[in-house]
Amino acid sequence: MKLEGYKLVFATVGLIGVLLIASPAIVDVIHLPGIPGGAQFSELYLLGPNQLAANYPSNIVVGQNYSVYVGVGNQLGSSAYYVLYVKFGNATDPLPNNALGMPSSLPPLYEYRFSIQNSMYWQSLLTFSVSNASISGFNSQINTLQLNGVAFNVDKPSMWNSNSTTFIYQFLVELWIYNAQSNQIEYNNRYVTLQLNLTGDA
Amino acid sequence: MFVFLALCSCLYGEHYVFAQTDQTASTLQAANTAIDGAFNAVLAAEKAGANVTGLLAQLNVAEGDLAQAENSYRTGDFNIAAIQAGSALPIAQEVTTAAQNAKPTAIVSGKNAFWSTIAFTVIGALIFLSVLFLVWGWLKRSYVKSLSDTKPEVKNQ
Repeated sequence: MKLEGYKLVFATVGLIGVLLIASPAIVDVIHLPGIPGGAQFSELYLLGPNQLAANYPSNIVVGQNYSVYVGVGNQLGSSAYYVLYVKFGNATDPLPNNALGMPSSLPPLYEYRFSIQNSMYWQSLLTFSVSNASISGFNSQINTLQLNGVAFNVDKPSMWNSNSTTFIYQFLVELWIYNAQSNQIEYNNRYVTLQLNLTGDA
Repeated sequence: MFVFLALCSCLYGEHYVFAQTDQTASTLQAANTAIDGAFNAVLAAEKAGANVTGLLAQLNVAEGDLAQAENSYRTGDFNIAAIQAGSALPIAQEVTTAAQNAKPTAIVSGKNAFWSTIAFTVIGALIFLSVLFLVWGWLKRSYVKSLSDTKPEVKNQ
């Protein structure tokens, strides 16, 4: 190889080496925008009593305790302050409107509040039982519901469902998030439901 | 007389319940505002580069108290709700103060880290280039020497 060829090799090695050495400083100075495919979002999930997506309680009787796990994942790129509203309704009560990003009009019964760092998860047990209900012909009414040991008067009626041959109720867990710009807790357009079939008194 | 006393008692009781509800509602509002402020301070500290793991753990305690207070309020346990909301307040204020203190420290640490990176980069690049020039000089001398050591050859045509 001629001297000019060696010169070119040295210049190339020098340039690559300087770029490699300067790469930490370049990253600090040039703040690149987020990767286009890297969407920022929050996760909401419901697991069964064994912390698996299986064995969800469905057929319930009065006086029996049931449990599920509710969890949230933060993939927003920074810490977030969340509120989970647990709502209770029957088969005809309105669900949140995904298209409009509106929460259900049902009043919240129980709530969780917590903050999570980016890429971290929060999970908690939700124990519930129907402590007072009545069934009369084709009508039923759940009067008192225990959520994590707290008793709530719900007085929620339900009609007999001939397809499932039960009285259908449902839990609704909505994800709300604190918006630091508006200083408001806003609905995050994410919810999970758990259908419960009331089969009779224990 | 008895009827009058009974009526007075009822009215007093009603006023007491309303006053208690208002007081609990205002305590809940104060706790909500304090926790919102604490979270804003933690978020600002995090953006400045502070490690907020401990602050968030502390804030989660306050948020848990506030959630319990809201749940108690819904069940009509106003006394318990007020106590739970009241217990969230000092924690939230403590977190706010700690986060506000952590922010300038994080900014200074961030600046120091930035200038350290720049300094190490410049020094590293200079050392690398110096070594490269030394090697280049040695190689060039060797090349020239190898050329001058080469004996001329005469070729007959």
